[in-house]
Amino acid sequence: MITINEITIVVDGREIIYDYSEQIPAGSITAIVGPNGSGKSTLLAAIAGDIAPTKGTITIDGLHPILTAPAQLAQIRAVAIQNQIYTLGYTVKQIIEMAGPAEEVMRSLELTPLADRPVTTLSGGEAQRVSIAAAIAQKTPVLFLDEPLAAQDVRSRKRIIEVLKKLAEEGVSVVVVAHSSESELTWADKVIKQLL
Amino acid sequence: MKKIAPAIALVIASFVAIYVGSAQIDNFWSALFSPGSNEILWQIRIPRVIAALIVGASLALAGLMAQGACSNALAEPSILGTTAGASLGTVIAVLTGIVQVGSVGAIACGALGALAATSLTFKLANLRSQLSSFALIIVGIAVSASITAIVGLVSSMVTRADARSISFWNFGSLALITRDNLVGISITALVGGFIAWKISPSLDRLSLGDATAFHIGIDVPRVRLIALVALSLLVGGAVSTVGSIAFIGLAAPHIARFIYGPIHRNLIVHTAIIGALLVVVADTLSRSVAQPNELPIGLITSLLGAPVLIALVTVKNNVWKTQ
Repeated sequence: MITINEITIVVDGREIIYDYSEQIPAGSITAIVGPNGSGKSTLLAAIAGDIAPTKGTITIDGLHPILTAPAQLAQIRAVAIQNQIYTLGYTVKQIIEMAGPAEEVMRSLELTPLADRPVTTLSGGEAQRVSIAAAIAQKTPVLFLDEPLAAQDVRSRKRIIEVLKKLAEEGVSVVVVAHSSESELTWADKVIKQLL
Repeated sequence: MKKIAPAIALVIASFVAIYVGSAQIDNFWSALFSPGSNEILWQIRIPRVIAALIVGASLALAGLMAQGACSNALAEPSILGTTAGASLGTVIAVLTGIVQVGSVGAIACGALGALAATSLTFKLANLRSQLSSFALIIVGIAVSASITAIVGLVSSMVTRADARSISFWNFGSLALITRDNLVGISITALVGGFIAWKISPSLDRLSLGDATAFHIGIDVPRVRLIALVALSLLVGGAVSTVGSIAFIGLAAPHIARFIYGPIHRNLIVHTAIIGALLVVVADTLSRSVAQPNELPIGLITSLLGAPVLIALVTVKNNVWKTQ
């Protein structure tokens, strides 16, 4: 369970999120939607422990992300950021194994044929799937994905949604930041639109 | 075969380096297997070649630490100010009479100077915003240039023989190495190498960027600090004993990555071998091509390393992709 309690986030003097509260239950898919600059990625960064809210508190299963050591935090939440850039030529399998066991997740996201390819040679969509696969491989009870479908073709989108649904059925809290309209997010259990 | 070629080349180069010199060694092979039998061989050449091996391995590993800690292909001890800091730390300690060049004390002062200068680069690059590769390189070049200028000014103003010349601090030399010098640089190489080996899996994760490394459980500032301590020890040991030798820290890790891939734990040994090879070959050339004069070794390492690096980057460029 993720509990967001009356948080306000100010970045460079600008109020991005004001007095916002929410509860995200375990075993569900929650989509945070909104236009550019609406604060959805900022909210995700705060829940993930990347930034501290200016006011209010966030807890994941009772733990405050910002006060938790990185190694412990990595056991309760995983994050796939948008536009992950790979600079060194590790193979797809090596990248995923840095986060956790690779075989099963590579199979489910159809990455097995790319296992030995250097990540520096992948297309944007393939690299994004590697980033999602690495986050899933961490096997955490909470999974955050920033725009996971943005660079994907129809087949890959369908595959990723299937995998996320299966994870939610297994009890994982999946939180997705998306640009999409609400009608495209019928696969999500809950859609959060208003942050300010 | 390609994968063991650098190790084989290193063994051959080491024997050639011991054999080649201004004085001919009579009965070379029997002298080589009879410790102490030939003074030139055992007091001068072998210590010098061992020093070249250790210094080369140290500078190469230092480059690997710098590139890993900064996630930046251009990061190397000279660019981050580490080398200049080690020179300044040693020069000040030698001039104040606390230590002699090549002593363990000089190495400690060199390592402290290296750590202080590198920390200054990171602090200044981080001052106004998050650490960026661009800011790090620009600030590092500025810090390095400023400290190098101070080293030049200070060493020009004194006449003490053990203060060494500007040329020594800028281009390095193994000409004055003695057996006593080997203890200190062996310690810094072993300790620095061990730290590098221990943190190498974290450096793999750090290469994914600070945010992703943090997400998979890496304490980014801590890993970076440990890498900088290893870097400073390695550079402090090498520079305080033989001066600055250019290009090894940049070229050796890149050459190793092209041959062996990016996994840092594999790269520790291979980078050290390639660095040692470059310095042993450069030192042999520096003292043999213009006899009886000795050329600055830093010039030879640049001449050797640069074409190799250019060739590798031109032929196969998917190892390190720039942003």
